[in-house]
Amino acid sequence: MKFAQYVIGGYSVAGAVFLVYWLRLGARIRRAERLDRDA
Amino acid sequence: MTLLNPRISRVLGVAALVSLVALAVFGLFIAPPDAVQSDAQRLMYLHVPSAWIAYLAYGVTALSSALYLWRRTRSPVWDRLAGASAELGVLFTAMTLVMGSLWGRPVWGVWWAWDARLVTTAVLFFLYVGYLALRRVPAPLETRAKRCAIAALVAFVDVPIVHFSVDWWQTLHQQATVFTPSLNAHIHGVMAFTLWLGVLAFTLLYVYLLDKRYRLETLEEDLESKELAKAIEERVQGAGTTAPPEHVEVGIGR
Repeated sequence: MKFAQYVIGGYSVAGAVFLVYWLRLGARIRRAERLDRDA
Repeated sequence: MTLLNPRISRVLGVAALVSLVALAVFGLFIAPPDAVQSDAQRLMYLHVPSAWIAYLAYGVTALSSALYLWRRTRSPVWDRLAGASAELGVLFTAMTLVMGSLWGRPVWGVWWAWDARLVTTAVLFFLYVGYLALRRVPAPLETRAKRCAIAALVAFVDVPIVHFSVDWWQTLHQQATVFTPSLNAHIHGVMAFTLWLGVLAFTLLYVYLLDKRYRLETLEEDLESKELAKAIEERVQGAGTTAPPEHVEVGIGR
């Protein structure tokens, strides 16, 4: 594949960004739920 | 409190994941390479849907903000929805800029150009980062919601500027292709399918994440109200039972 480093890099970055955002969002929700219960 | 039924949210999450995997398979292996740009064009399947979904996210923020400002429809739901959608808009704009940069390097020879489309998109990104920062400024909920709604509507002015920048100025970035009938662009069937698959996958992901982000917005608002009520209660009890301290030390970092 020509320009493989850019193409594969792009798809990997996109996947990683979405995954990290999703995991982080889940963690933020769980933290807020815990704090909300304790408050 | 969520926007969607938890079961629907789960189904949506699975559908988003499946369509994203299908997009990767089609974008990397099944769609043919472009006649001019070769494989570098495969980044279009991420770049273009990201930009469209960012527009959608900012559109939802602007509409929700307008509905909040209009007295007849004023509800905290619109404020929460605006905040939740703006964060996703920033996420998809960042994705657009990064994918565009990665695509620009092999095709244009540069990571970045001071081109009208690129600059207005970067401005859009920073406008909504500012909007998200404004949401974090402590204030009564209604005051915060009102000023954020105004800021969101002001920031939205940049969306049509981004869209039409390629027509209004001479740009390195190409003009709109898919929706310009005069160009009579013939797109290979598999390429067109992959592009629309990207739009579908990112739309599903957007709706799924919007539901989650809305839940977080609701929880943070509840927590803020509870903490405020608790602080007022403590203050009232303190004032009723104890004398105010004679000497109070204040300082940063306490």
